[in-house]
Amino acid sequence: MSVILYHWEPNANSGKPMLTLAEKGVAYESQYLDLLQFDQHKPAYLAINPDGTIPALVHGSRVLTESTPMMEYIDDAFKGPPLKPTGPEARWRMRWWMRFFDSYFAPSLSMIGWSIFVGPAVRLRPEEDLRAAIDRIPLESRRIAWRKAMFNEFSPEEIAESKRRVLFATKALEQHLSRFTWIAGDTYTLGDINGFNLGYALPLSQPDHCNETKTPHIMEWLRRIYERPAARETWAKGRTQMSARIKILERAP
Amino acid sequence: VLELYTSEPNTFFLKPLIALAEKRAAFTTKYFDAASLEQFADGFLSDLESSLQLEREGPLLVHDGIVISSSFFMLEYISDALPGASLTPAEPYDAYRARAWGQYLGAQLGSIVPVLGAAKYLQPHLAALDPALVDRRIAAIEPIERRSGWMAVRDGTLSTPYLKAAADRLGAPIARVETALSGGSWLAGPAFSIADIDAYPMLRVLPDLAPAAVNAQSTPRICEYIERIAARDSVREALKAARTDRPERQFVPGLEASRWG
Repeated sequence: MSVILYHWEPNANSGKPMLTLAEKGVAYESQYLDLLQFDQHKPAYLAINPDGTIPALVHGSRVLTESTPMMEYIDDAFKGPPLKPTGPEARWRMRWWMRFFDSYFAPSLSMIGWSIFVGPAVRLRPEEDLRAAIDRIPLESRRIAWRKAMFNEFSPEEIAESKRRVLFATKALEQHLSRFTWIAGDTYTLGDINGFNLGYALPLSQPDHCNETKTPHIMEWLRRIYERPAARETWAKGRTQMSARIKILERAP
Repeated sequence: VLELYTSEPNTFFLKPLIALAEKRAAFTTKYFDAASLEQFADGFLSDLESSLQLEREGPLLVHDGIVISSSFFMLEYISDALPGASLTPAEPYDAYRARAWGQYLGAQLGSIVPVLGAAKYLQPHLAALDPALVDRRIAAIEPIERRSGWMAVRDGTLSTPYLKAAADRLGAPIARVETALSGGSWLAGPAFSIADIDAYPMLRVLPDLAPAAVNAQSTPRICEYIERIAARDSVREALKAARTDRPERQFVPGLEASRWG
């Protein structure tokens, strides 16, 4: 059965299935969609995922669009090294932290990222093009997000609250990694793949809060993942400066 | 040793009770009154994950000293860790669908249903309690996001437009569930699963809280689905945990809505 992954950069939600497939050793057809050109809202892609969100995995006739459950599917459906822990307690811990990453940490971190990276990158284009692009977005929640990013409608209070949450979540993660080697416990799992996609650039974007002194466990955890061949292979597929930020994780010679 | 810390069998609290009954598991119930903020009394069980869980209020399952929080993942844990038939679909794509429902409905219904229920039932309940006790318990809540959910209910800041917007947001998830049920009796594959155990406790209260959105005319399949699940032995067993006459009227604030607007 064919495996096709529609994705953007190895980053955030797109990077989750990319790194998972690489770790499993699954060959797949890569369909790169340029988020900044709104490829994900064009008819060709809406025929695959009517919600217009990326990533999407097409396995034979099956279409999967929720990135975290998608990672579990890849682990369940394909041969290769297991990426879920064997015990139910560790599996629960992996899932608990993935939800914390997806629904608490990531929305705040991405609001900051969209306000400083995505917004300015698309704002170079004429306003009427941007308004037309918004009209093609299927989901109301995504239209709101894009409108805010395109026209820089984030309030100072929203950004300040997002920064507070990023700092809070960074501290919680450091506390967790001071007790456990990996997110789920003793072994590298989908929880680490998820967290790495969220946090690989934290030492660059949050240098005052994520560094050798304040978060030594996070730093070491990120470097251990960066040194995995699957991570090298996945981030080599990046085309923008955003995914190039991963170089911050090179160890000093 | 298996202990379930639970309040009235409704919304988040009803889910593990059903799963444990499906498994015919032996467990001890540690009952607390969540609507009266007993989970914030000194000495109540708490750890990093249970205090930061995004549902904010909910059941805790303690299995040989391990504290399991967050209701959908608690269902996966019960399915995984306890003897008896699995409640997770065996086929990987059906398991994906169950988890995708858990993620989607968890965020959607999990942030809408509690708000509607809190405005109708929790607000008058809090107002009838000793104000000094309520203030003291709320002041002790960490983190601040969890505290603000309670403050909004106590202070009556859930405005009519806010509640209207919440009820309007029900449209998309309700339409998705109604459509999905045209393909079969259950949400994720041929058998009753954790996806159904997760969805049912949130859906069953909607004919009361949002009759314009869920009713026999506009959502006949959801109404039949609610009846189909209510008839299961496990649900009848789960509802025996109630200590009031109307467990379907006990609500806690639940998840916050997306901060992206």
